[in-house]
Amino acid sequence: MGGGAGLRFWVNVFAVCLLSVCVLCFVRGAFAVTFQEASDQVAAADQALRVAFNSVLDAEQSGANVSVLLPRLNEAGVALSGAEMALKAGNYSDAVSGALACKSLASGVSDDAVVLKNGAVAAWGYWWVTVLLSVAASVVFAGAVFLVWRWFRRGYVKKMLGSRPEVTG
Amino acid sequence: MWALNDYKTVFIAAELIGVLVCCIPSVMVFVRLPPGETFSELYVLGSEHMMEDYPSNVTSGVDYLVYVGVVNHLGNAAYYEVLVKFRNETDPLPNSTSMTPSALSPLYTYRVFLDDNGTSEVPLTFSFSSTSFSGGQSTVGSLTINGVQSLVDKSSSWDAVNSGYYYQLFVELWVYGPASDGFTYNNRFVSLWLKLA
Repeated sequence: MGGGAGLRFWVNVFAVCLLSVCVLCFVRGAFAVTFQEASDQVAAADQALRVAFNSVLDAEQSGANVSVLLPRLNEAGVALSGAEMALKAGNYSDAVSGALACKSLASGVSDDAVVLKNGAVAAWGYWWVTVLLSVAASVVFAGAVFLVWRWFRRGYVKKMLGSRPEVTG
Repeated sequence: MWALNDYKTVFIAAELIGVLVCCIPSVMVFVRLPPGETFSELYVLGSEHMMEDYPSNVTSGVDYLVYVGVVNHLGNAAYYEVLVKFRNETDPLPNSTSMTPSALSPLYTYRVFLDDNGTSEVPLTFSFSSTSFSGGQSTVGSLTINGVQSLVDKSSSWDAVNSGYYYQLFVELWVYGPASDGFTYNNRFVSLWLKLA
């Protein structure tokens, strides 16, 4: 009886050790990042950042104010530079996380740049409002100056007619 | 006192000026003024953000601080890459005439996005380690820039004219072009001569 319990104890210890080794191998296999994977992620992040900048430039050329997007692009740029440095240093998991952060930020910027561009294009569609307001303001101003001129001329003529010649000396 | 015709001229002038001012917003809708001269600035400042106190005599194990500034005058938002390189007296510098960058690999790179007329000043902390001196020659084993250590293993011979072992830390400015989907050297670089002691 005592020998059976001892054997069961050692079987359990062996099973736990075997399970631990399997789990460690599995986790290592699941989370290990190779150079190629990290390099691909960094290249994809670099491309995403270029696409985001092109979207921002496109929005700016449509007349949108893109100042709010540039700090986020800079944040993405810092993440990408960090990822590249980590890749160079052989720290592949940090390289991947930096690249993913960069891609996420760049994707958000791209989306917002499209929204800003659409807003700018829509605002451009109302160019006739600006022209109409300018024409209206010009007409009102010209009319006001004309009225002031008439009032002034009347006063001027009245003053001239009311004045009498004066002999001096 | 003015004659009535003089006043009339003044009123007509005022009316014309007023109408022109009212038309400016409409004109701006259709007319885009051409940008002036487009260029980028690159500069380096000392540790107090001034054009002084640049590190010149350097030793192993000490941190040195400078600021690298970039200014965008390209007329639109710009995407820059700033490359930090390190050379001895025989390594190539960028060539301003042929507008080509140095063939050396960058030890540190960062990116900066700037809107038109925007400025960026980024701190650059660097330190040397594994330096050695023997037989009229010095060697720098590694250089750490903003916490990123690079093995450089670069040697410099004794400069009899200036009495020292000299190295140069320099910064190149590259700008992204959407048409080429790549960075091109902007023909701008700044450098610091460092005397290793």
